[in-house]
Amino acid sequence: MNSNRQAILRIIGYSIFCAAILAVPLFVDDAYLLNKFARYLVFGILSLALSLSWGYAGILNLGQAVSFGLGSYCMAMALKLRTIPIQTGAGGLPDFMVWNNVKTLPWFWQPFHSYTFAIFAGIAVPTVVAFLLGWFVFRARVNGVYIAIITLAMLVVINLVIIDQQSYTGGFNGITDLTTLTLFGIAFDAYSTATYYLAAITLSLCLFLGLAFVNSKTGLILQAIRDDETRVWYFGYDVAAYQNFIFCVSAAIAGFAGMLYTLVMEFASPTFLGVPISLSIVIWCAVGGRSSLVGSALGAIVVTGVQGSLSETPAFLDIWMLIMGALFIFVVLFLPNGIISLVDVIARSRARHSRDTAAEPIQAAKRSEAISRQSVSR
Amino acid sequence: MSVIIPQLSVGLSIASILLIVALGLAIIYGTMGVINLAHGEFVMLGAYAVWFLQTYLGIGLIACLLLVFAFVGGVGWLVERLLIRHLYKRPLDTILATWGVGVILQQTIRLSVGPELRYVKMPDFLTSSVHFFGYEESAYRIFIFVLAVALVLITYFLFFRTEFGLRLRAVTQNPEIARCFGINAGLTYSLTFAYGAGLAGIAGSLVSPLKSVSPDMGTPYVVDAFLVVVVGGVQSLLGTVASSYLIGQVSGVLAFISNDTMAKALVFFGVVVLIRLFPRGLFAMRVRRS
Repeated sequence: MNSNRQAILRIIGYSIFCAAILAVPLFVDDAYLLNKFARYLVFGILSLALSLSWGYAGILNLGQAVSFGLGSYCMAMALKLRTIPIQTGAGGLPDFMVWNNVKTLPWFWQPFHSYTFAIFAGIAVPTVVAFLLGWFVFRARVNGVYIAIITLAMLVVINLVIIDQQSYTGGFNGITDLTTLTLFGIAFDAYSTATYYLAAITLSLCLFLGLAFVNSKTGLILQAIRDDETRVWYFGYDVAAYQNFIFCVSAAIAGFAGMLYTLVMEFASPTFLGVPISLSIVIWCAVGGRSSLVGSALGAIVVTGVQGSLSETPAFLDIWMLIMGALFIFVVLFLPNGIISLVDVIARSRARHSRDTAAEPIQAAKRSEAISRQSVSR
Repeated sequence: MSVIIPQLSVGLSIASILLIVALGLAIIYGTMGVINLAHGEFVMLGAYAVWFLQTYLGIGLIACLLLVFAFVGGVGWLVERLLIRHLYKRPLDTILATWGVGVILQQTIRLSVGPELRYVKMPDFLTSSVHFFGYEESAYRIFIFVLAVALVLITYFLFFRTEFGLRLRAVTQNPEIARCFGINAGLTYSLTFAYGAGLAGIAGSLVSPLKSVSPDMGTPYVVDAFLVVVVGGVQSLLGTVASSYLIGQVSGVLAFISNDTMAKALVFFGVVVLIRLFPRGLFAMRVRRS
């Protein structure tokens, strides 16, 4: 059957991609480059998380950076507490706390002495925040547009709060001067292959687990919710619960990506929770292909890769943002399913009468109808 | 008591600015279902326009207002003609497209004028304070309040007492039937979008002497304005007015008790809880599922 063939082709495609990213350290020796690539991979994971929530469930989370930032701060807090005493000031307090006249370590910093807690928190904190917001918003059954605005508002608020509470969070400068994470005997230095492999393995795992998930029953129900929410309610499903679920899953993945990012960048900053980066995540996902896991990851990797290879100066970044804005509008108008949809169109125009069970059943059906109509009239 | 009156008036002026911004946004969203994330950038453009007119042409703030309305309205017209009209069937995509427009506008200003802060002078006759029931109040803030009320009244008049307003309301209710009656829906949409954008521009010019002008000053406004629309309810002029004063006052009071950031956070939480209880907003006129 053609759908089986499509599934096999997809798995092959994903495997090639994962093999490629895992093979990179074999060809690249430069630690600085490896660190850059690890960064792009982390963005890929982030973009994948958004694609799960947006492309597959129709929830446009404009505040994806919240989960990302919270995860990265959790890891940073744990690492900061382990930084060699000469950098943490008297009594084991992080330096910025000493500068802000904080006398004792606040209660919410205490548990971060343990790595287990920190890693757990890096995933749990964004998930809990997402769950709480989702409980209010999805139960209210407001339309998708409101959800987008509210997530954006949450992003702005949390960003402001973190900058404001500088005695507890390092404020504008974030948490810097971090030690290296050493777990199970491996030192995850930012420039080591260990960190790169961690990112690559995480991305590969997320891709395959994600692929299995979206083709599972839950995944199909979520796609149905994206296409017609009201109808799914009438079928008797608790749509709000499903939406909240994927919202939390997406937050958890983004939180983990945030922790990886702290390892790669060696600091955590409020810019990780800012509007520019949240906008970038949406752009990567839209450009790459919001309804395709590998597409969104590719979108992130390619866009940040091109940006990184051209320049990193502030002047260029401004022009780059301008180009990104224009590209974004172009993609929204003409390529709503991202660049990866071009691959799909080419593949499908070869197999004329295929029926695709992939991400956009209605659109796919229309497309193959149009193609068959074309072939008949020829 | 001596603390309450000044507090009330600060809340009043926050609310008035919020109202002017939210009014434009609510009009655009209520009429066309378009979420305009570039609205904050329209506010920013208004502020820069005033700065430009003042610095290079020496025109005072009050005289600028009409020019700024026309200028930003014109930008809004272009955006609608070139971009928005292709996206009426796809509401989520209009968010993205308008966000892209916002980014382009912001970066254009940043690259052409530069990212440094710019300053606009307040008109001289408004810098004094006015004695009001025994309390000093900045004349400028009173001016903002008066202008906000005037704009609401003008909008009400425009929508409910003119032929354009009649056409607009017809197109909002049912564009197809309105077209059958010979109404040019496309033109109506463009004019409405331009009007909303123009209002944002005016808000920007009013706020420019109070806060410095920078390329990224717009984003907080669009987020706040949307919260106002979410709380007030769509297609309700009264709802927009009421919820901007509600949110403005609450923000002012909370900011007084703690600080600006905490006030914003608490207002946000309040809105999230409110939306759970009143998903259509406090003053919803129509129950429309989109």
